[in-house]
Amino acid sequence: MTLILGYVATLLVTFFTYNIFVIGLNIQFGYAGILNFTVITFMAFGAYFYAVFVMPHADNSSQVFYILGLHWPWPLAMLAGIVASGALGYLVGLIALKRLRSDYLAIVTLATGTLVYGLFGNNNKLFDGWSGLFNVNQPFQSVATNHPNEFSWIFVVFSGVIMLVVWLFANRLYASPLGRSMRAIREDQDVVDSFGKNSFKVRMLAMVIGSVIVGIGGVLTIQYIGALSPAGWTTGETFVVWAALLVGGRANNLGAIVGSLLVAVIFNEATRYIPQVPSHPNLIPNLRNVIIGGLVILSIWFRPQGVVPEKKASFLEVPLVDKYAQGFPGEEPGGTLSPAASEA
Amino acid sequence: MAKSILEVKGIKLAFGGVQAIDDCSFHIEEGTITALIGPNGAGKSTMVNVISGTYRPDEGHVILDGKDVTRMPNYVRAQHGLLRTFQISREFANLTVLENLLVVRQGQVGESLFGALFRAKRWQEQTKELVAEANDILNTFGLYRLRNEYAGNLSGGQKRLVELARAVMAKPRLLLLDEPMAGVTPALIERLGHHIVELNRELGVTFVLVEHNLDVVEKICSRVVVMALGKQLADGTLAELRSNQAVIDAYLGGGARERVGS
Repeated sequence: MTLILGYVATLLVTFFTYNIFVIGLNIQFGYAGILNFTVITFMAFGAYFYAVFVMPHADNSSQVFYILGLHWPWPLAMLAGIVASGALGYLVGLIALKRLRSDYLAIVTLATGTLVYGLFGNNNKLFDGWSGLFNVNQPFQSVATNHPNEFSWIFVVFSGVIMLVVWLFANRLYASPLGRSMRAIREDQDVVDSFGKNSFKVRMLAMVIGSVIVGIGGVLTIQYIGALSPAGWTTGETFVVWAALLVGGRANNLGAIVGSLLVAVIFNEATRYIPQVPSHPNLIPNLRNVIIGGLVILSIWFRPQGVVPEKKASFLEVPLVDKYAQGFPGEEPGGTLSPAASEA
Repeated sequence: MAKSILEVKGIKLAFGGVQAIDDCSFHIEEGTITALIGPNGAGKSTMVNVISGTYRPDEGHVILDGKDVTRMPNYVRAQHGLLRTFQISREFANLTVLENLLVVRQGQVGESLFGALFRAKRWQEQTKELVAEANDILNTFGLYRLRNEYAGNLSGGQKRLVELARAVMAKPRLLLLDEPMAGVTPALIERLGHHIVELNRELGVTFVLVEHNLDVVEKICSRVVVMALGKQLADGTLAELRSNQAVIDAYLGGGARERVGS
């Protein structure tokens, strides 16, 4: 029973953190049209920086090396991780958003991800290289060490509350004039510029906000597991987040939730129970990626807007009398633009 | 003479070996409707892009309201009331018609991150007012019943109307229209022309139209600037220009382009 409870808790935490990743990506891609192909790098940035701020100074005799080791209290370290992730978003934005669009921007983000992955993996003085960081201080530490199951459920509530805040934030942003500007930029950036809005600034905002949110998810991940190594944030993980957004429905945060439930939780978790083939240990994880890929193809083929499509905006309004309900003078009734004689 | 709202002086702009604009100067008086005509390749659209700030000229100055704006980015010029439309309709396809209008109004409270998050009451109120205003504009343009339709689903002619309605919502002082009548039925041309004249008369918007349809130009434009081979060739009323030999050679009569360059 306790095992099942623990497992359910882990599933819920996975669900909540993936929600946060997908909402972050949704703000970048769904709102502002920024193709960020390295979502997972921002997650890693948040997680690693949380770790090195919260952990005590590295004990070199144990052959574990990492920078800083400031031993800050966990809420402050959490903030540091989030800021680090946002700062990376700002840097990528500075390089890429000023001049590049769509595919070229995507290439820059992909390159950034590869760079960071290579750097963090190969340099074992930064974040302990390929072996990664472990024994990372968790919040609610005393509970965590003595009652792991209770910790899991406390963490479910903790991550759930944070997810709720992110969700409310994202929805308010969507409905606001700023969110509308972002969506207009997604449609046609030059036109937004020519109407007096600094589209670079708005896109940068979307980029940084998205990075911050993904960073929050990253911090939560490492807080829950207590460890992270580069194997946990390969490029493939980025596409799980993408798949969740595309299947669920972009530009709609409800779609983000449905998508992370379908892809990140159900598909990712269900495939764990396929029995391993002893001679091919990588078969199942690879098969999982194949299945997720197939799901994306199917959803783009049959339901390109996703399971929950973007909602059409509606406004409270005072109805007007339609001046031209009868069509235009000289035009047939109902025919908006029928070729007819000129106005009388 | 009325005050000029816009002046271009000695603009030169080359794309590689092509001298798209070659020392072109003219001015636009406030409150007028001016046409910019010329044969294909004369540099009209390039000039619109230079004026609006999409291209930066190699040489010369753009002066808006007595202020040199040559080095100003396009969105800052737009904040000064200099707006433009595009040769092909560029509506925000996955926004509704109403949203297309709402998005372009400048200075909304909820446009900053702080405002969007913490002053929701204020921007919700403001949006309500803007919705009413936008609906009014849409009604004038006969688009009211289409307000909740995605702009991308509209017909070509309706998109043209949305472009103009959207520009009106942004409260322009000077509006550059790059071939607003291209690919539009005669009935709609009539209507667009009617709207332009009305906006000019009632709101005092100054218009510059790039236009090939000389009937339209004759009907609604008080002054015409002719460009050919990147230069300003002549200006005046269309009637005056009809008797100008250089203009006839370059444009009205067709052919004989090489004579213009000399």
